[in-house]
Amino acid sequence: MMVHVDNLTKRFRGTLAVDRLTMQIPTGEIYGFVGANGAGKTTTMRIIAGLLKPTSGKVYVNGVDVSKEPLEVKRNIGYMPDFFGVYDDLKVSEYMNFYAGLQGISKSKTAELADSLLQLVRLTEKREAYVDSLSRGMKQRLCLARSLIHDPKFLILDEPASGLDPRARVEMKEILKELRSMGKTVLISSHILPELSELCTAIGIIDSGRLVASGSVSEVVEKMSQSGRVKIKVADREEEAVKVMMEMPGIGSISSVAGVIEVNVSGGNEEYVRILRTLVEKDIPVISFQPIEGSLESVFMHLTERGNGNEN
Amino acid sequence: MRINPILEKDLKTKLRGWRSTILICCYVILLIGILFLYFASNNIFNPYNTHNFNPRMAMDAYNLIITFQFALLFLAVPAITATSVSSERERQTLDLMLVTKTPVRKIIVGKIMVSLAHTMLLLIASMPVIGVVFFFGGIGFLDIIKLLLFYVLTSFFVASCGVFFSTVFKRNIVAIITTYIFLGLITFGPFILFLVLGLVRERYSYTGFSPVYRDFVSALFPSSVFGFTSFYISGSSYSMYYGYYSPGIFSEVAQEIEQQRMASTGLWKLLHPWLANGLFNVVASISLIFLSARILNPIHRKK
Ligand SMILES: Nc1ncnc2c1ncn2[C@@H]1O[C@H](COP(=O)(O)OP(=O)(O)O)[C@@H](O)[C@H]1O
Ligand SMILES: [Mg+2]
Repeated sequence: MMVHVDNLTKRFRGTLAVDRLTMQIPTGEIYGFVGANGAGKTTTMRIIAGLLKPTSGKVYVNGVDVSKEPLEVKRNIGYMPDFFGVYDDLKVSEYMNFYAGLQGISKSKTAELADSLLQLVRLTEKREAYVDSLSRGMKQRLCLARSLIHDPKFLILDEPASGLDPRARVEMKEILKELRSMGKTVLISSHILPELSELCTAIGIIDSGRLVASGSVSEVVEKMSQSGRVKIKVADREEEAVKVMMEMPGIGSISSVAGVIEVNVSGGNEEYVRILRTLVEKDIPVISFQPIEGSLESVFMHLTERGNGNEN
Repeated sequence: MRINPILEKDLKTKLRGWRSTILICCYVILLIGILFLYFASNNIFNPYNTHNFNPRMAMDAYNLIITFQFALLFLAVPAITATSVSSERERQTLDLMLVTKTPVRKIIVGKIMVSLAHTMLLLIASMPVIGVVFFFGGIGFLDIIKLLLFYVLTSFFVASCGVFFSTVFKRNIVAIITTYIFLGLITFGPFILFLVLGLVRERYSYTGFSPVYRDFVSALFPSSVFGFTSFYISGSSYSMYYGYYSPGIFSEVAQEIEQQRMASTGLWKLLHPWLANGLFNVVASISLIFLSARILNPIHRKK
């Protein structure tokens, strides 16, 4: 187990940012941390990185207690925050040297290490450029290289794709795939789900400081699709169909437009079967009956539809 | 062992380009200018000057120069250090340093070393100018070394104060202002307290108030001005207006302290003002470093 977060709570004066959060990230996993803005992702990540003191609860990284031996933990963690954090008056190579120095890497090893990392993030040609001349995507990649300088086992990436144009996103994604093949354990956050779904081996969904679901992508989808949507096309008697379903238990909101009815259903497959049977028994001319696949996006929308909305 | 990476980075960026070279040149020119004005105003360049060259004048010039440097140190070092941590915070690079395995204390020390390096640079650049004055003023080599040591210890303290307030306050401007106020208090406060206490005692005590050296030291040791009296050549000054020698107020104070020291015995006699203040500076600086590190360390941080 690379990371073990145990009953973590963080309170900022009035706001409860993280609420009794427990999660585990096995070694080698790419763990997607998904939640709307303000859900508590950054706070959790900062606590794991040892930058913030939790109100209560424990965090272990590679078996070491973050609050007890922070320096030991920092040896294993690479942290990329949701901002750049660059010095405009440094060159790319000097920037890398500076953080290599802070990580206690000897001068002789630094040059080689920096070169290979710059190659990984495709910035080799920019070695001697000043940091402020780089584009957003390049700065982001430079920050990633910086967080890798001491070859950490575990990487924390806070919204690495936000604010990037589509091309830069693709590039970032390619690099992350390489990291996965390098065997790093990664905790990566996003408020946009599809960004993570193909990349991650596991996801956790956080809402109002609570982890509401976690597991492999398909597990979470499965769990969330317990409450799904179904799209029903009828040839006629649309209003009657709506009325029938409204009287049934376990039915959420219903919308109907020109013979197409969409229904929110809480419950699994048995529920769908029950709805279809009832409609047929009532002699409603059903043309098609189609449960909408529990796509991550809808899972996520469902999870966060109460309270804070998703901005992007 | 590697040189402190923060020292390396800050020096690299600050010394890059012409800015700092120009700054150092300006500083040396300023020193020369002050000297020139001083001598010119005393008619030393006037061929019809009735006075001969007076070594007293060189001593006054020496006093002027070291006072100027001393004041500059108090003005410039806080400007460098009081923003050192808060500007990293504003640039959002502070967290990036804190997640490395470099202990917080080392980050703080790095920031202090940056300003010490600046001070040293300015001092070294000014050596030729000061050397001339020293030569004419009859100041010994050992005195120069002592003065430099005192300057370094003082900037160590001033820098530690700056960094400390820079860790306490989030905003640059607040940190700078607080540093200046704090330094003003600790530099002049002891003198004012001492004076008030003396006046009160004089008035209400039968014996009156006649402080001995021990009283001076135990009241004034935190003040760098007290330490500075060790280097100020006291005695009467040459006045260009009246053509006679008149002692200045600071000169009188310095003289009184020195006389009291000579009159004391044992260890007190050895504890020169600059040593007493220097020791305080070292102890206070180290305490401030530990305090700053504690404040900055996220694991200890309250909020
Ligand atoms: N330093 C802070 N002081 C006060 N409240 C904070 C602070 N940092 C975060 N919060 C609050 O904690 C909650 C979680 O924030 P955050 O962890 O940044 O969410 P996310 O990264 O998921 O967008 C938000 O309501 C935010 O306003
Ligand atoms: Mg965030």
